Amino acid sequence: MGKRERLKECHTRREFVKRFGVSAAAANLLMGLPSLSLGGTEKRRKQRLVFVFSPNGVIPAHFWPDQPGEHREFKRILQPLADLRQHVLTLKGVCNKIKGDGDGHMRGIGCLLTGIELFPGDIQGGSDTPAGWSMGISIDQHLKNQLQADPATRTRFGSLEFGVMVPDRADTWTRWSYAGPNQPVAPIDNPYEMFNKLYGQSRNREILASVLDDVTEDFERVKELLSKEDRQLLENHVDLVRGIEKELQMELEMAKRSEDNVHLVPDLPPNVDEENDNMPLLTRMQMDLLVNSFLGDFARIATFQITNSVGQPRMRWLGIDEGHHTLSHEPDSNEDAYEKLIKINTWYCEQVAYLAKRLAETPEPGGDGSMLDHTTIIWTNELGKGNSHTRDNIPFVLVGGGLGFKTGRALDFKNVPHNRLLMSICEAMGHPTPSFGNPDYCTDGPLTGLA
Amino acid sequence: MNGKNSAQNPSGNRGWPSWRACGIGCSPCGECLPRPIILTARDYQYGDALRVALGMGMALLLSLFGVPSEPTRAEEDSIAALRQAISQLELTPIQRHGAEIYANLCADCHGDVGQGVEGAFEAPLVGDESIGQLADRIHRTMPEGSPEECEGEDAQAVAEYIHYAFYSEAAQLRLRPPKALLTHLTTTQLRQSLADLFAMDSWMPTVSGEQGLKAEYYNGERRKKEELKAERVDPAIDFDWGRDPPVEGIDPDEFSILWSGGLVVPESGEYEIVVHSTCSFMFYLGGGGREFINNHVQSGDKTEFRRKIYLLAGSVYPLRIEFRQRKRKTEIPPARIQLAWAPPDGVERPISAENLVPHGAPATFSLQTPLPPDDRSYGYERGIGVSRQWEEATTAAAIEFAEAIIDEKWPEYQRRHRDKVKDRQALKEFLEQLLSAAMRRPLDDALRQRYIDNQLAAEPDDAEAIKRVLLAGLKSPFFLYPSLDIDQPPAARTANQLALVLLDSLPTDKRLRQAIESEKLGTDEEVRRIARTLLNDYRVRAKTRAMLHGWLNLDHLSDLSKDPEQFPGFDQPLVADLRMSLLRLLDAIVWSESSDYRKFFTLDRSLTTPRIAAYYGDHWLPAEPWKTGFETQWTVSSPKHRGLLTHPFLLGGLAYHDSTSPIHRGVFLTRYLLGRVIRPPAEAFSPLSPDLHPDLTTRERVELQTSPEFCQSCHSKINALGFTLENFDAIGRYRETERGKPIDPRGSYITRTGERVEFSGAADLAKFLAESDDAVRAFVTRAFQHFVKQPPAAFGADTVDRLVERFRASGFKISELIVEIAVEATRPMRQANQEIASTTARQ
Repeated sequence: MGKRERLKECHTRREFVKRFGVSAAAANLLMGLPSLSLGGTEKRRKQRLVFVFSPNGVIPAHFWPDQPGEHREFKRILQPLADLRQHVLTLKGVCNKIKGDGDGHMRGIGCLLTGIELFPGDIQGGSDTPAGWSMGISIDQHLKNQLQADPATRTRFGSLEFGVMVPDRADTWTRWSYAGPNQPVAPIDNPYEMFNKLYGQSRNREILASVLDDVTEDFERVKELLSKEDRQLLENHVDLVRGIEKELQMELEMAKRSEDNVHLVPDLPPNVDEENDNMPLLTRMQMDLLVNSFLGDFARIATFQITNSVGQPRMRWLGIDEGHHTLSHEPDSNEDAYEKLIKINTWYCEQVAYLAKRLAETPEPGGDGSMLDHTTIIWTNELGKGNSHTRDNIPFVLVGGGLGFKTGRALDFKNVPHNRLLMSICEAMGHPTPSFGNPDYCTDGPLTGLA
Repeated sequence: MNGKNSAQNPSGNRGWPSWRACGIGCSPCGECLPRPIILTARDYQYGDALRVALGMGMALLLSLFGVPSEPTRAEEDSIAALRQAISQLELTPIQRHGAEIYANLCADCHGDVGQGVEGAFEAPLVGDESIGQLADRIHRTMPEGSPEECEGEDAQAVAEYIHYAFYSEAAQLRLRPPKALLTHLTTTQLRQSLADLFAMDSWMPTVSGEQGLKAEYYNGERRKKEELKAERVDPAIDFDWGRDPPVEGIDPDEFSILWSGGLVVPESGEYEIVVHSTCSFMFYLGGGGREFINNHVQSGDKTEFRRKIYLLAGSVYPLRIEFRQRKRKTEIPPARIQLAWAPPDGVERPISAENLVPHGAPATFSLQTPLPPDDRSYGYERGIGVSRQWEEATTAAAIEFAEAIIDEKWPEYQRRHRDKVKDRQALKEFLEQLLSAAMRRPLDDALRQRYIDNQLAAEPDDAEAIKRVLLAGLKSPFFLYPSLDIDQPPAARTANQLALVLLDSLPTDKRLRQAIESEKLGTDEEVRRIARTLLNDYRVRAKTRAMLHGWLNLDHLSDLSKDPEQFPGFDQPLVADLRMSLLRLLDAIVWSESSDYRKFFTLDRSLTTPRIAAYYGDHWLPAEPWKTGFETQWTVSSPKHRGLLTHPFLLGGLAYHDSTSPIHRGVFLTRYLLGRVIRPPAEAFSPLSPDLHPDLTTRERVELQTSPEFCQSCHSKINALGFTLENFDAIGRYRETERGKPIDPRGSYITRTGERVEFSGAADLAKFLAESDDAVRAFVTRAFQHFVKQPPAAFGADTVDRLVERFRASGFKISELIVEIAVEATRPMRQANQEIASTTARQ
């Protein structure tokens, strides 16, 4: 089979990858795209962070371990993580104490990663005063900036902002990542769009490679109709196209030769619409993309925002027809709602567990252990509990060894501002800071006893 | 003649130095190189410059025409052909006598058929001087060094011979009849075609004369029907209500305003849109749900919002702004909003009524991919070169377009054709519709198989499949090379050509499609009728404006900085206003009822702005009070206004930073307005500094510097025209004295037919230009080249004559000239029609 024929037959990105075993990293290198860590040799251990958001609080009684100390049996909501128990660290008693403008939900999501107040604004929530965007940068963007400033930790994107079913409106309830004061970062909640961002350029070249042949055929055909002078221009054009075709073939050939460095571009199912009922599939697609982007070292920081503050998914796949937020306002005495909320939160935990397992099963490229050993997933929530809107005891479930914290246990800090945890995370990532967010909540320094 | 030989030619190239600094101290911009008006042998002299500019790919192409350096087989063939053609001419006795003298005294330096000789006079002996002028010059200066060898009747005979045999434009047309070349889409054509392909199932907005935006004022933030308190047209969005209600009956604590309409873009380029707002707003631009600036949340003291976007002049961008003052428990800020932009000239200003329309427009597509500039070696943009950069840009453009289709058009189509969504029937039909429009032909089975079925079979994901199909289709020769439609029926070809010539686009327009179907495109009259209906299309307006830019060479005048001590306050905002004033003046003349070309030189009013009026005063004051929301206003009538000829943007642009430049003005008038050829100066000169000659006026200084005989052969013409505008200083302000001496604005011009005309100042010159056959021909030629992007002679040697004649007959109506250009440009396609018709009739 000649090279051209092979190229012609290689029609889809999946097929392309299967046939040529092109690794995303290798392909990117060969195709001249910025990729991989751009710097020289790394001195530090590779560390990654993923912040996972789920909305509307939890049911604390079925969430928190009864006592601090080594994990024994997980409660219902955390059950999906049971197999990974030794990688899990639960942090109770960490509270979002930020006051100021905005209702509980707004401050719940808007101050969660920023640790600072919201600007006065014109968005009026259910109660309290109206508010605007956050006054400060969020920790994911802050750490991304730190990592990108250092050639040793710099990557193609630095950070990636994933979403799942985030409503198509920009307001305080739909944003948790901020590039700076008044600068919310919109998550990408369409997996195809994310795919485009990650692999679009090389994929476009694949498509180009496979359609060029058809196009040049037509050039040859029409040439016959033209005068000698006019033909010259088309010949020059075809020469150019053929030259580009040849280059593409060479790229693919070279990519084929570096098969050892295999991490495939994920195979997304086609034509999945952003609809409520597709939420499990969409979450899976996004998580696969996240794992692969880490595998290709496109970024070391990610946020993964499932729905939004006041999120209203209807988890019909669990037999739940009501919206999540509506249910979360029901009193604990509503047994049906209570049970459904446990199921909903368990489903979120399953997603976290899926991500953690995929990382645990994948060996760290060019390093020791698994990818999970180099990654910490921080699963968190805007509220401690839905029907009270409390921001005390914000759920913080850490999975993995990225930060180097001692896992396999439950801690209870008994009412500390969450700014101190944000500071601990910065410190563990090698970028300690005297404060994060509002300095008034940082005077006691980072939390101790984590490592 | 002031021929140069290669020893003195620093570039070492044959022919004229490529980008020689002009003697007048202007930058080495190539401006002083002759600009060919039609494709004649003169064009070939660009070979060297082109070779450098376009790289080897182009050089290959050029070699076909016989570029003078590195004699090629083709060149030798071409000269042999010249000899053959000239030897067959029937000469008069005088011409024969001239031919003999030429062979004896001239051919050594100029070549036996005027082709030029390496190491001697290299440039081909072609030009536009009359026989009389040539004879005079030969008499005085030729042969170089011993002019006494050829004088009087001998000089006359030589002039008659070379003029007839090869020197004149007529001779060149005869010797090398220009042909229409195969060209690919220009960048503008590519952008416009994609925009129209995107909107092919929508209506096309036309110029209505309405200005401003539709505004609906609601009490409360939810825009309930019953709370609509006022509905009106706001000329612009520029309001500061403080805490007052914006209109009566509205609670200033909680209200909403909806502005809608279209954004009209005067020139293609990158615009930065700027909104200043103290309240929440959503800004949609380009299409229904296309969010441009999202300030749904009013937060902190962030009140300035900016975003850049490439906008295309022929499009109207639907615009919608939802402005909200929300009730809140805390203190409510004062309400204020302004919609502004920084156009490509970079000067930020509010968007005025002139650029807004109160009626909507269909969603459109504006390509953001940067495209490499088109070849301009023939003096107008056309697609005659391919480069790697261009090839890659067309790929990027196709992908960007495909993504817009995937995001907006395909979902929309699916909603309308739910019944067919299964087994991809709808997708096939959707793509076939797009591709047959893009490729200017119905898809036959083979094309459908290759471009649609095969691609769909290869890709199960619809979005990916669309990308494949469009990438193939938009890179196919049928899309990129419009004239490859030779196998199509005459009505379709005529519509294709009409769309390309008038709209820079594809015939997606309903009016054109209907005409194709009813085959109403056969006769001149039918083409005229449909071309006239297209005149109020924004795309025709944009193309005409670009033509006028080129005619006046305005792109070269963009940087108008002046000596701040002499001209305090002459700043960039003022320059931007002056530019706008000139562009709108041109627009106003072209699209007025009379559309009279002569008004370019005779109109006694202009368009002014508050800045211009404050700076220039006097005849730049508005005739009526300023109108809120509008940028420009007509001035009072004044004899000091002579259309564009006295416009400060032009006169200031054709001047130094501290003094006028009669030479720049003279070159401009000669080359651009009168369409004459000027040879570049023999050597580079620096202009004499005004400081060295403090008692001389500019006129006296220029006369002094250009007094040597070898300067005078050109400068006698250039200066004589430039001096007539000396009443206007370096910023185009009227003056009567310079350095205490009265201005002497006398001048003269010798026409192509050898007639001498005298002027005493701008008014005389304006009167002459308005009717001058030279000027009219230059304008008609420029218009044809711009619209058709081919040399007029390729459509028949007398194309320009015919157009000039009809232009005159219409009372110099520019809009009719555009229509007639469309008639001429479509004739070859329609003649094919008639041939077919007559063949059928015979059968």
